Amino acid sequence: MPRQHSIRHKILAAKFATTLAALLVAIAAMISYDLSLYHRSWIADMTTQADLLGRTSAPALTFDDARVAQENLELLRYRPKLRAAAIYDARGRRVASFAQEGEPEFPRLPEADGVRVEGNNLVVFKRIANDREILGTVYLRAQYELYDRLLAYLGIAALVTAVAMLVAYVFSNWEQKVLVLPLIAIAKVAAEVTEKRNFALRAEKLSDDEIGLLADSINTMLEEIGRATRELEASNRDSAREVAERRRVEEEVLRLNAELETRVKERTTQLEYTNAELEAFCYSVSHDLRAPLRSIDGFSQALIEDFPKEVPEEARRFLGRIRSSTQRMGQLIEDLLNLSKVSRGELRRQDIDLAGIARQVVEDLQQRDPSRKVEISIWDGMQANADPRLLRAALENLIGNAWKFTSKAQQARIEIGVLRDGAQASFFVRDNGAGFDMAYADKLFGAFQRLHSANEYQGTGIGLATVQRIVHRHGGRIWAQAHLGQGAVFFFTLTPGNAEAAASRPAEAAA
Amino acid sequence: MVAVTLRLLLAGTLLWTAAGMAQTDSRAAEVRIKAAFLYKFGDFVQWPPAAFARPDASFTIGVMGAEDLAVALEQVVVDRRVQGRAVTVRRLRRGESLAGLHMLFVGQSETGRLSEVLGAARGHAVLTVTESENAIVSGSMINFVAVDDKVRFDVALPPAERGQLKISARLLAVARKVVTSS
Repeated sequence: MPRQHSIRHKILAAKFATTLAALLVAIAAMISYDLSLYHRSWIADMTTQADLLGRTSAPALTFDDARVAQENLELLRYRPKLRAAAIYDARGRRVASFAQEGEPEFPRLPEADGVRVEGNNLVVFKRIANDREILGTVYLRAQYELYDRLLAYLGIAALVTAVAMLVAYVFSNWEQKVLVLPLIAIAKVAAEVTEKRNFALRAEKLSDDEIGLLADSINTMLEEIGRATRELEASNRDSAREVAERRRVEEEVLRLNAELETRVKERTTQLEYTNAELEAFCYSVSHDLRAPLRSIDGFSQALIEDFPKEVPEEARRFLGRIRSSTQRMGQLIEDLLNLSKVSRGELRRQDIDLAGIARQVVEDLQQRDPSRKVEISIWDGMQANADPRLLRAALENLIGNAWKFTSKAQQARIEIGVLRDGAQASFFVRDNGAGFDMAYADKLFGAFQRLHSANEYQGTGIGLATVQRIVHRHGGRIWAQAHLGQGAVFFFTLTPGNAEAAASRPAEAAA
Repeated sequence: MVAVTLRLLLAGTLLWTAAGMAQTDSRAAEVRIKAAFLYKFGDFVQWPPAAFARPDASFTIGVMGAEDLAVALEQVVVDRRVQGRAVTVRRLRRGESLAGLHMLFVGQSETGRLSEVLGAARGHAVLTVTESENAIVSGSMINFVAVDDKVRFDVALPPAERGQLKISARLLAVARKVVTSS
């Protein structure tokens, strides 16, 4: 596995680099320190030597004793690194000289005090003087081994580096056995797990340190992952099954819906057809019923009027009843035809003033029954966009009802107005008549529904059904509020609108 | 005896005459060197403090029986100091007191009376310097000798010790011979 090599080599390289860097720095520091020390101490040594030689030779120079000076120089034989030495007198003559084998050269004249390096030689000139005068000069030439030393050190450094690298290599191998191999084993397991997705594999714990802990952790993790994976797979299978099930159900629902729609369409068509047929039938029946009724009424009247003597009183009374029944039936038929008319025909909307229509309706009612004293209040500004013919029919019914049910009231009062809530207008017709029990409110607008007996109040029970149909054709709503014996309010709207806003109004209006 | 002496004297005179200029030159050089050495000895010998009457007392060198050397010495010591003191050259005749002297040079001409002169200096802190053969035996401390045409000197330590003088080992190192016991 190449990754294994990689980490091992990296560690080895790092170790080598560290060792090498440390060694090089240490060696460089040591060499430079040693060489500078050597340089300084050798110069100090030679300067001291020259000084000593000068002091020793001072009497010899003072008393012009070359032999003694020579003897002094001969002592340098025991310093093999000192290659040559000479003593010059105050006038620059060489008084004594000494040289190791093969080093016979001396400067012709002495120079001023000083130390200098000449290739492999250190050259020292040192003045000899007492407190008053210059006696002469000492010349020394010594080996200067800086470069030899440097070479020797470099050799040692190379050797030390090689040995250190070898040691580092051996140490690194051992370290790898202890540290890296367990890691690599763990890495191998991890790679295998990733590759084969086999969470049953376990890392081998080779040591009791952090790496061992790592192995333990990985094993725990693998166990956890294995368990989680199994659960996930199970859950996935369940989910897949559920999804399939849901899809099947959805398809079923769609199919049923489609079927339902088709069926609804069919039914609607049938219903519409049936409805139209029914209405046509109703219309024709009502229409056709009128003719015989008119004959019955007509002939009953003829009997009463044409035969005043022949028809006994009793029969006359019966004929009167026949006539009133016939008239009631005629009225009924009239209402039914109206209802039918309201349902059919086109809705022609235009801007109208409901207040005007209401006044006309009230006028008609007062002409028909001038004996009634009813307090009428019609609000101004009841504009609406609606079919004037249908609205007139609706108001005739509503105001007519109010007129009818206030007939037994002490102070009959009828109010026609409007409550506006933004764009929505709720028109109302309020009276203080008989009212009704709210328990029957839902039956109010059905055809032939009567909450009061015909003896009490006249009516066919078609009126409110007609009103409701008109309101519905305009897209509005109609509802009522009432208390038995305390009057009723009928609300209606003429535009489709916010049902809640409309519903919140009646309470206020009724209060 | 007188004749022999005369002959010798004659021969000497003749020789001296024959040597002529050369001999005069070499003697002059020798005197100059010896004068210089005398002056330099002062740096290698330590006198007892009692040898100097006052702190600023000069260093006095007595010269007996060597006028040429006295002259040379006077030239040498001009503006020079020994033991941190100015140097005075005093010419002495036989029998004169040695008081105040720190160094005494007795010339060759006094060889015959050397013992007498050195005896007077004996026990005093006076460095005695001579230029006669066997002068050491007579009690001289330093005696000039000629070696290969060079001026050298022998040193005798016992008389110096008697005079409480300490001669530096560095001087001894350049001496031809050092006598350590009598």
